[in-house]
Amino acid sequence: MAGGSGALALRLLTTSSAGAPGKDSPLAGKRMGMVIDVGKCQPDCDKCIKACQQENNVVQAAAHKNHELAVHWIRKVTIRKKIETDEKAKKAEAAQKSVILVCNHCDNPPCAQVCPVRATFKREDGIVLVDHHRCIGCRYCMIACPYNARYFNFEDVEVHEEDLNKDRPKRSHGVAESCTLCAHRLDAVDQDGNPSPRVPACVEACENGALAVGDMNDKTSTVYELLRDYAVKRLKEDLGTEPKVHYIGL
Amino acid sequence: MPENAAHGRSGNGRGLLVSILVLIVLAPLGYYVVRGTAVALGGKPSVEFLERPATQDDRCIWNMEAGEMRLHHWEHLARIREDVVRFGKRDVPGLNECRNCHQSRANFCDRCHNQVSLTPDCFGCHYYPDNEHWDPQRFPER
Repeated sequence: MAGGSGALALRLLTTSSAGAPGKDSPLAGKRMGMVIDVGKCQPDCDKCIKACQQENNVVQAAAHKNHELAVHWIRKVTIRKKIETDEKAKKAEAAQKSVILVCNHCDNPPCAQVCPVRATFKREDGIVLVDHHRCIGCRYCMIACPYNARYFNFEDVEVHEEDLNKDRPKRSHGVAESCTLCAHRLDAVDQDGNPSPRVPACVEACENGALAVGDMNDKTSTVYELLRDYAVKRLKEDLGTEPKVHYIGL
Repeated sequence: MPENAAHGRSGNGRGLLVSILVLIVLAPLGYYVVRGTAVALGGKPSVEFLERPATQDDRCIWNMEAGEMRLHHWEHLARIREDVVRFGKRDVPGLNECRNCHQSRANFCDRCHNQVSLTPDCFGCHYYPDNEHWDPQRFPER
């Protein structure tokens, strides 16, 4: 018994030191980012939203009794210019753009700064996550986020077992949540423990190729090439949050 | 002296009583010492309480004895949780992989948790099949 627990303690120790960020960390040197091509995004398409809901067990807005309490990891908005005259209205109609909004995974995340229990944190590769085990549901992050990307589970919504993605947790009520950039797919490993990353669910679902997610430090990645070749804009850059979601043609 | 003899008898009786009480108090400890030693020496721990996987393998995916597993599984799960959530290390099997072998939460998790009045929050978010199905083949007699 004593020998067994000694070996166990050793194993626990080694596991703990292996988990700390360092040279062997799978996230070291990465900087994950997203590029959204607004020109390719179709106004009447919601495939990315549906795929995200299916993948991450985000309950559909229709399932909530009060729609204002619904959780959105991806939102779709229409941007149009201010209409001054009827003549300009037609032009503006043509010029309106369909844009999706997600968590911007800021380099300088206000949500992580205000979190009193450090449940919200920035990972080594720049993805901003909520540790739902630690979240106390104070909703400071929702107030701090300038992009309204954070949502709160005000209620438990029953999901039918056949609709559930069983490999992903759903959220019980009382925790804040937002887009994770499908970190579980980016970190995925094969049976031998070698990294075999998959693209996020929204990127996989987008038939128009409007979305790209990848490592901005990796010179072979699509994201790197897009950022090199196109002029991009970020949302509310003046706030200094340094978002990592970039828009082409906004 | 009759009085002294009576006094001596009652003193012996008290000593006996105290020894029996001490033995009764320490008996569970002795049980654990004996069982723990037996496990350390290669014996099989008593595991009839929990559902065994169909593979009949004594070792779990974490390559641990069943007794160790029973005593320390939450520490491991917490460690794996930190590794996955904070550091993106997903090469160690976690709670999702438990259900590959132990297919019923009622038989595998809840039986012990109910016994010791524990209500862990795991299953509020993480899916674990909650079937009450009782398959006697999965409870091999030992």
